[in-house]
Amino acid sequence: MTIKNMNSRIAIPIVTACLVFWVGFSSLSVFGQESLHARIDRLILERTGGEVSHKSSDAEFLRRVSLDFVSHIPSAKDARSFIEDETPNKRQFLIDRLLADDRYAIRMADVFNVSLIERRSKHEEWINYLRSSFSSNKPWDDMVREIVAPDSDNEANRGAAFFYTARLERYGQNPPDVPGLVRDVGRMFLGVDVACAQCHDHLFINDYKQVDYQGLYAFVGNTVLRQDVKFPAITENPLLTKVAFKSVFEGVEKMTGPRLPGGPEIEIPEQNQGEEFLIPPDKKIRAPGVLKFSPIRALSESLTRSDKPEFSKNIANRLWWIMMGRGLVEPLDMHHSGNPASHPELLDLLAREIVEHKFDIKWMLRELALSDTYQRSSIQPTDIAEPPLAASYRTALERPLLSEQWITILREVTGEATTDPKTLTEWQARFDKIFANPPKEPELNVAPTVKAALFLSNDRVVLSWFDRKDGNLVDRLCKLDNTEAIVDEAYLSILTRLPTVVERTDMEHFLDKFKGPREKSIGQMAWALAASTEFFVNH
Amino acid sequence: MNESAELLLDRYEPHETGQIVVEPQVTEARFSPCGRFLAATGFDARVRLWSITGEKPTELPAIVGHNGWVHSIAYHPTESILYSSDSWGQIRATRLTDEAPQEHWTCPTAHDGWIRQIDISSDGNLLASAAPDRDICLWSTRDGSLITKWKGHDEDIQSLRFHPGGNLLATGDARGLVKIWEFRTGKLIREFDASSLWLLHRLQDVGGARLIRFNPIGTQLACGGVKPSSGGTVQGEPTLLVFDTETSELKANLTFGVANDCYLQDVHWTDDDVLICVTSGTPGAGKLIMRRIEDEKAFYETTKMPNCMSVSLLSESSDPRNARQSKQLAVVTTNRNSNGNGRRINKNGEYEGNNSPIFLFRLGKKV
Amino acid sequence: MNPNSSLCMPNEHRLSRRRLLGTAAGAVGAFGLGGLLQPAVANELSKKDKQVLFIWIDGGMSQFESWDPKPNTLFGGPFRAIPTSVPGVHISELMPQTAKQMHHMAIVRSLCTQDNSHSAGVARIQRGDPKNRGVTYPYFGSAVSNLLGPGSSNLPSYVWIKPGSGGFIHEDAGFLGPKYGALAFGDGKPPENLMRPESISESEDEARHQLRGIVNAHYANRRRPVVSEANKYVFDTARTLMHRRELFDETAFSERDRERYGTHEFGRHMLIGRKMLEAGVRFVKVNSYGWDTHGDNFNGHLSLMPKFDQAYSAVIEDLAASGMLDHVLVIAMSEFGRTPRINGHIGRDHWPESWSLAMAGCGVKKGVVVGKTNDKGTFVDSDPLDIGHMFHTWFRALGIDPNETQFSNAGQPLPIAHDDLHACEEVLA
Repeated sequence: MTIKNMNSRIAIPIVTACLVFWVGFSSLSVFGQESLHARIDRLILERTGGEVSHKSSDAEFLRRVSLDFVSHIPSAKDARSFIEDETPNKRQFLIDRLLADDRYAIRMADVFNVSLIERRSKHEEWINYLRSSFSSNKPWDDMVREIVAPDSDNEANRGAAFFYTARLERYGQNPPDVPGLVRDVGRMFLGVDVACAQCHDHLFINDYKQVDYQGLYAFVGNTVLRQDVKFPAITENPLLTKVAFKSVFEGVEKMTGPRLPGGPEIEIPEQNQGEEFLIPPDKKIRAPGVLKFSPIRALSESLTRSDKPEFSKNIANRLWWIMMGRGLVEPLDMHHSGNPASHPELLDLLAREIVEHKFDIKWMLRELALSDTYQRSSIQPTDIAEPPLAASYRTALERPLLSEQWITILREVTGEATTDPKTLTEWQARFDKIFANPPKEPELNVAPTVKAALFLSNDRVVLSWFDRKDGNLVDRLCKLDNTEAIVDEAYLSILTRLPTVVERTDMEHFLDKFKGPREKSIGQMAWALAASTEFFVNH
Repeated sequence: MNESAELLLDRYEPHETGQIVVEPQVTEARFSPCGRFLAATGFDARVRLWSITGEKPTELPAIVGHNGWVHSIAYHPTESILYSSDSWGQIRATRLTDEAPQEHWTCPTAHDGWIRQIDISSDGNLLASAAPDRDICLWSTRDGSLITKWKGHDEDIQSLRFHPGGNLLATGDARGLVKIWEFRTGKLIREFDASSLWLLHRLQDVGGARLIRFNPIGTQLACGGVKPSSGGTVQGEPTLLVFDTETSELKANLTFGVANDCYLQDVHWTDDDVLICVTSGTPGAGKLIMRRIEDEKAFYETTKMPNCMSVSLLSESSDPRNARQSKQLAVVTTNRNSNGNGRRINKNGEYEGNNSPIFLFRLGKKV
Repeated sequence: MNPNSSLCMPNEHRLSRRRLLGTAAGAVGAFGLGGLLQPAVANELSKKDKQVLFIWIDGGMSQFESWDPKPNTLFGGPFRAIPTSVPGVHISELMPQTAKQMHHMAIVRSLCTQDNSHSAGVARIQRGDPKNRGVTYPYFGSAVSNLLGPGSSNLPSYVWIKPGSGGFIHEDAGFLGPKYGALAFGDGKPPENLMRPESISESEDEARHQLRGIVNAHYANRRRPVVSEANKYVFDTARTLMHRRELFDETAFSERDRERYGTHEFGRHMLIGRKMLEAGVRFVKVNSYGWDTHGDNFNGHLSLMPKFDQAYSAVIEDLAASGMLDHVLVIAMSEFGRTPRINGHIGRDHWPESWSLAMAGCGVKKGVVVGKTNDKGTFVDSDPLDIGHMFHTWFRALGIDPNETQFSNAGQPLPIAHDDLHACEEVLA
């Protein structure tokens, strides 16, 4: 039974009781130890090297955490009510409400989809797989096992194979991207990019050797796209011998079996010809067969072993990046001894803790959200000569919005109410064209483009959302009595805060001076707010 | 394999008799009709000559005096005269002897630039030539005087062939348009659409009507080249389109390979309607294929020779005293490992070029 | 707070044309004409007038079939060489129009560079292959955009007219930061959404953007500048492009121009490139793909070179006629040349060992050939020049001294060209 389908008369008190208990619990662990978020803040403060920004305002925090956990901008009413709420620990309650919200799974699915697939292509079954995994808060190690060794017989999880199939598909004249697949297994799950070690040891990074690339290749190089089914699926050819490779510089032939970077080589068992399969493939019914020795099964086991620090460090670093806008190791896929974390002790702590908490993503995100570091304002401390370094976390970093978030929140704030699925799909595609990166370009930082500026300025559909229509934002604003109320409501609806005195004056000035119908001036004011930097970023 | 294919192999299966490695590369090698000579042309502005009447071919002094690339050669049907053309626009006629060749006549500025093809009419009186200057010219084989010329294409002309009947000339251009002319008047008779042999890829016109052949009785016109899939480094399937000469209807569309195999470089149409073809593609890719049009597939195919540029057939001698009692074939190929970025230096510290092994075959069952 | 305060960039000042000429849109202020003749400002002006047209022939144009023909030699190929408007200088017969413009040009035949691959080579060449300092150096266009600033037009300073899709290529800028990236116009077409919709009048548009600027100024106050500046930059660029829509109007070209440049995409793009230069864009890159003729090289160049010849000679002729060639540096090059050896696919492979490029215009000698290759065209037979030498040379031609000027990578000074190399004096005017 979930909280959702309980009778609300008993649900609310139970929920409240749970939350109160949880709030009390979370600041002290069972053994009376400091909470993780307190330890995070301590380690960060040790290295700030200067004054830190004050805590974010309630408005700032509300917007930030709503975008981060549910991709949603609160209504003006909800914003006002949160800002005015005097409950202590209201932020903690908010965090927990959002984490329990249905939209959490949709948001996390988007984040991981963009990170893991990097906009190559889409598949409904993959998105559904991600959503259901986050909905049940599936541990990360389970997810990785399902992704790396997908089970085409498990209807609920088979979409996970899209990690492979998105890279093994042919795009126009481009062949299957096996080197890309090898590289991405390293990047996504271990935080190492061995692309430049395919043909020789990495030229600049001592830790990345050619055997690292080739060992990963031995794991996934035999995977083949299955063409016989409509859902994403792969099959594997038997791996019978080690992979031979030769540096283009040295010309000495070497061999390796499946091997994670820096890890032990997995022995390939002797397989007699005709005996590689546990269940042989059946050409008649086109069943792919089950191998006795499956390199990708071996990969899923090796990757997620709890004594593999790279695996836990990688996910800890990525979760940190999601919330803070920067990895403790930057770039996210360049963990090596020559590129230490900005806060090595902190990274180790996070990695240990996530292992101890059995790769519970939601738990980690919650701890990060509770930290002062996360809740710091993006407004810099007063009287500083130069902007603080990003890696100091003295000030919160501005973070990009995903194109999926863009269309959702823009429609939300303007009150655009279409539900027609075909239209929505069209609009999503349009927004993707403007705000999403081309395939294989990671979306890591705020990167405004001329394309987006023109789109926001001149696209007919977007501009139509600022015309007055029954029940939409502009309509609501038009119905208010005085200019001050209009400006306040506009700010709360769009920027999730009240305007300052000066801002109110500026807006009132604009509305008064405007020559034309009132609804147009209001619409344009709303547009100016929605097209602003403040709306454009997660700050 | 059906009986008919076996019989064909009886007549045409190639058995290697030797190789001549020519340096620098050549792109065309042709037997003389009399069977005494083999001539090869290429990149060093000479026409190389061998006497082939003995056990092994012996090289004779080469024809000199050309410039650039000697790109196309043709023989007089009965006399021992070789006509050659080069990429600077010269046409030359040379009398062949068992010793040094003798200059017969030369026309240094027959065209402005790269003469793509010359052909000799079946009666031996006329030489036709065409070049990217878009002139189609007819010359007297006797003395090289110009008889007539006209412009007939909007694009560079790449191929040309006399119709065996004696009145018509076919020309083909860089965009796959083939035209048949009554050459005495320069009148256009009809057009053939071989535009599938052409692709505009970015800025480049890729492919084109690279070769034209007629069947022995002239009822069919074949146009060959590549069906391009990309330019730059050209990729595409070697293709031969066969048309009805009278109606210009497309009768057959024959493919000789995959994207790596690229160009159909040369076709010999035998008297018994066998097509002997060679292809040259990405460095290393080359085929010798024998087939008939109506069959589903080739009756002989080999990929052992890299980059086959031309194929020449010498019929059996009608003279029973002549040792040449079987057909012979000469295929110009290119050495392996002919490509590579950057420098390749040999043992003497020199930068090496490539060469062209000419494979010689005897065709058919051992007598 | 002054709503325009966000337009002030404290660490760089811009002499916008409006302020200089004191037109109604801007304040006349103290910049009466007399003040313009002060030396500092005059230098500023002359520096700002210099422009670059960078013609990139992607894939590797064969130097044998273009700038350094070796007719009638072992590796020379089928084509002839033709004389040019400079006695004693010959180029490939495939460039008859360019031959007539030789007296404006300088050809360098002694390039010898390091990389024979496209994937790394293209970037290495365009970044000047400097010493490895662990930072990503900017492309030449980004460098010029940074060192010389935007032209007098307020148009984006690094524009790329290219086949295929457009967009903002921030990676070109390397450590200089995304602002110095290339604004690419796919097929020379304007970006989507360039037109203001009819439902908004010009004055309404101005007003709403001004309001947006006010909102942004409030936000930017006390926040890190990098995001606010980037967003401001893209909107400013967007609005500039909206006001200069005519730059993309291909119908405005005369029939004669279209014929001279060629109706193929390279000709069209070159014509748009010229228009951008005339409008005052600082650095215009025009490129062509498809030159990697590993197979059928000679038919390939027979088809490709005339299109290059047409567009290139036309733009040189036009820039010379209008006097623009005095302050526009024109460079035409690839990432390497092609092998002397002809492979089995009758093609040429990659050859960085000895190849050529062509230059004309600002700071460059007229009608000269610098450097040479040996008779066979296999290796350089004079002082070899790496791309680093060329970067030194080009900066000098633009009036920038690489020994005096440096980039600033967040405060860290970095040389603008390879420290161990130097300009090729022979080609500098």
